[in-house]
Amino acid sequence: MTRTETELEITHDDRSSHDVILEVRDVDVTFDMERGTSRVLDGVRFDVHRDEMLGIVGESGSGKSMFASALLNAVVDPGQTSGEIIYHPPDGEPVDVLSLSESQLERFRWEEISMVFQGAMSSFNPTMKIREHFEETIRAHGEDIEERMEHGWQLLADLYLDPERVFDSYPHELSGGMKQRTLIALSLILEPKVLVMDEPTAALDLLMQRSIMSLLGNLQEEYDLTIVFITHDLPLVAGLADRLAVMYAFEFVEYGPSEQVIRDAAHPYTRALLKSVPSVDASLEDMHPIEGESPDPVDAPSGCSYHPRCPLATVECTQADPDYHEFSEERGAACFHWEQSGDEIEYALGVDPDEFPESTAAFESEEETVVSLDDVDVHFEQTGLIDELFGKESVVRAVNDVSIELRENEVVALVGESGCGKTTLGKTVIGLQEPTAGSVSYRGQDVWEAKAGSGDYEFDDIRRALQIVHQDPGSSLNSSRTVRASLSAPLKRWRPDLGPSDRETVIYNLLKRVGMKPPEDYAARFPHQLSGGEKQRVVLVRALLMSPDLILADEAVSALDVSLRVEMMDLMLDLQEMFDTSYLFISHDFSNARYLTEKSDGRIGIMYLGNLVEIGPAQEIIHDPKHPYTKVLRWATPPLDPDEAKEANATDPPIREIDIPDPTDPPSGCPFQTRCPDAREVCTREVPELQDTEGAARVACFREDDDHEYWASEPVESDTVSLKTESKAD
Amino acid sequence: MRYFVKRVVHAAVTLVSVTTITFALFRLMPGNPSQAMRAQFEADMEAGGGTADPEVLDAMVEQHIGFNPDQPWYVQYAEYLQDIILYQDFGQSYFYNEPVFDILFTAMPWSIFISVYGLALGYTTNILLGAAMAYKEGSRFDNYATVLATFLNSVPYYVGAILFLAFFGYELGLFPTGGRYNTDLQTGLNVRFMASISYHAVLPVMSSFIVGFGGGALSMRGNSIRILGEDYLRVARLRGISSTRIATRYVARNAILPLYTQMMIGIATVFSSSVLLEFIFTYPGVGWYTYDAVMRRDYPLLMGSFLFFTIVTLIGILIAEFTYGLVDPRIGSGDHSESY
Repeated sequence: MTRTETELEITHDDRSSHDVILEVRDVDVTFDMERGTSRVLDGVRFDVHRDEMLGIVGESGSGKSMFASALLNAVVDPGQTSGEIIYHPPDGEPVDVLSLSESQLERFRWEEISMVFQGAMSSFNPTMKIREHFEETIRAHGEDIEERMEHGWQLLADLYLDPERVFDSYPHELSGGMKQRTLIALSLILEPKVLVMDEPTAALDLLMQRSIMSLLGNLQEEYDLTIVFITHDLPLVAGLADRLAVMYAFEFVEYGPSEQVIRDAAHPYTRALLKSVPSVDASLEDMHPIEGESPDPVDAPSGCSYHPRCPLATVECTQADPDYHEFSEERGAACFHWEQSGDEIEYALGVDPDEFPESTAAFESEEETVVSLDDVDVHFEQTGLIDELFGKESVVRAVNDVSIELRENEVVALVGESGCGKTTLGKTVIGLQEPTAGSVSYRGQDVWEAKAGSGDYEFDDIRRALQIVHQDPGSSLNSSRTVRASLSAPLKRWRPDLGPSDRETVIYNLLKRVGMKPPEDYAARFPHQLSGGEKQRVVLVRALLMSPDLILADEAVSALDVSLRVEMMDLMLDLQEMFDTSYLFISHDFSNARYLTEKSDGRIGIMYLGNLVEIGPAQEIIHDPKHPYTKVLRWATPPLDPDEAKEANATDPPIREIDIPDPTDPPSGCPFQTRCPDAREVCTREVPELQDTEGAARVACFREDDDHEYWASEPVESDTVSLKTESKAD
Repeated sequence: MRYFVKRVVHAAVTLVSVTTITFALFRLMPGNPSQAMRAQFEADMEAGGGTADPEVLDAMVEQHIGFNPDQPWYVQYAEYLQDIILYQDFGQSYFYNEPVFDILFTAMPWSIFISVYGLALGYTTNILLGAAMAYKEGSRFDNYATVLATFLNSVPYYVGAILFLAFFGYELGLFPTGGRYNTDLQTGLNVRFMASISYHAVLPVMSSFIVGFGGGALSMRGNSIRILGEDYLRVARLRGISSTRIATRYVARNAILPLYTQMMIGIATVFSSSVLLEFIFTYPGVGWYTYDAVMRRDYPLLMGSFLFFTIVTLIGILIAEFTYGLVDPRIGSGDHSESY
């Protein structure tokens, strides 16, 4: 691979071909800490172009949030910001944001540059209505209330919200996605020129993320915005951003037009990142985690900060910090070995969908059933005071008439938006949640009868056989016990025949097995001395020590950094073979579910509002989704390949409404009919059941039955994404 | 609606339990008060030269304590409850020879007057001081104020009361050492009488203030510091919201919420502290009568004041629960937990 070499010196004048709105020059952000100075932004130089959408990608702790705060000169105390950030207003003199006085800053922020934070959930005052938030902002900047509120009204409507209802709500009355969109509207109320968004969608469901991303594109065009979008999720911005900038260890390592960066990344880190991110279209063999850990801001490596993890590193890299190598005016990478990186680290974007092998083996496997659910319902009663007053009974149907069988050595992933009942179903499967109707059996024995004391299996044995790994490893380990103590507990309980030294041997072997070497050292550590990935490994080992038949992995990799997810999932599969266990993997993320199930010939189940709407072999669900909702989820999972991404962005979301209906008041008939683009009159009356299809998947949709009255039924009015949004709670 | 009914029923159950316990304690007390009372009456009558007719004695005892000591305990209990619930008859004070209800009813406004002012003053200071400490977190002011608050919180209010009395009342003679008002004045709605009431109330209110003060300031400080670290505060600052508005509408409003319940439950503490306070200041309120009843073994009056304290506490908690939804909108919309 060869690249044309056009050496260019970076000076202010070189940028004249682009209209620059923000010039970042040698910006440092430092925090004084007891153990030294923590440098969380290290001499960053960067230009933001007017009216572009700039995607900034980096792992957690790479300094990307600090960059966002620095753009508004809003680094939290006691952080120190130095350098220059020059803002060029459309008309008027350029200003240095970092040298503005406090009162100038108050005017500058929100009027020129505004920001949307990561935690929309906590960005509103809980005891104030949304309307007051808007009004106080307008008043604080001395603008005309009526005119601005009208603008706010328009913004909310543009974001597919019902302005009237949103204005009169308290923050807790809105769902997460609605809050996030409201926050975007609030940040645009004074018509700023630049909008900085720091992981604005991280806490949201994929579908909501994608919907918001599409809406952002519209807003940008409509209001001439420059958007700086910061995220850890490369595929999310890849298709939408005009330019991409990759951050590693507190500085930018590569930037350029997003298509070029994705297709032909020059920096070894970018290439490794592209390889490590689970996506729906990349080939599984190509996915590899990045070895090693991100550097510590107090003690960053000398020379190129990536050299300890870089396969191309030479002596030169350890001694000197590489300058940007500029391929063209707008493309650069900070690496000495940019020429070789293409050959050394290979990655492929997308696989041809025709290539996937037909695999129905898992579905017809002869393995024994471990747990089976038969017509299980889990309903929660939630009748509050207000409902009582209006005579409204509210029952949340978290799980509705679900039947599923889990076999030995099988991996099943449940995918769905938050609130769809996937966690409840998971807990029901492992006997933590008692179903309100139907039965849960473990190897033919009803779990709840066993608990009542009438059964062939002891309930304790069933309890041991069905284990759980939670999403947050930090809170599932006792912070005051060492790894050894945490891991010994299950052994003492279930293997009383082992003496202390035997137990130690078992634990050491397992720790070694999951890559925590030397085990003696790790066993003596406390949870706070472990990284997130290590904690999750300990939790997994703890669950496996019980020799369970089934492990419920509830969003087990979601809390980990992107580059660690593949590694963790590989480990899970590796241990599965060793321990002969099955996994029920719960995820809101299609790409993670795909990685785990496709690699193990497992199945994926799609849940929507408490119903299992489609279940089948992973390959088939990913590449040939049948249920309209699966198609929506598939749309919401962006492909990495720039061409495909562009295509996906051009198409409207195949839904009629963005927000999920109120789970206490589900729609009649098919649960998805209110959002389904193919809904017909019969869907509003009848509930489709899971039925066999041409493939191995089973789908709950009338469209799979060629003779169904659906085909003769009248379509309901169908415009993609209507303005009406459903309320979460009335 | 069910919530309200449930809460009221809870309160009623608590009240009946307390009544029962009071009744049981009354019966279990060493020397059996009703027998002691009977012996007392007998001695009185014989000292008066008459002979004691057992039936007359029983009737006298029953009139004073509200039940006939010769009946089985369950009948006594039923009659006792019936009297209280149907006729608000708490029995007759043995010492004052007046219905207990009347005594407590006339004393109540004075106790409430002292307690409510003490409480209001205490919590206002708590909130202001706590907020100030939070804003100056880590400063010298914060450190000293924390020490002061901890100190005042640990000083028992009665010690404070005695010191106040000794210093301001006797040593400096600035304030009266007892009574509710100057008895020479004409009672009624005139300025001098009102002024006299306030003048007499200063020391008791000050001592009562100590009861509500201290711990509250520290928890207000903690709440405010927590709120100061919230994301919405950072967003509000970036939006350019004035610092006054942030202080009142954002920090104070949200930091006070947890204190609200604490304060309502604190009402009970303040009232129970009035027993000693009113005794120290010779201030005839409910507390003073309670102490008096203990000293004089005036059991009917004692039982009556027990009930009074219970009822006040329950009312405080009920008000807190019913109004919390108005103060915090998140509670108002019912308990929609998202745990599914």
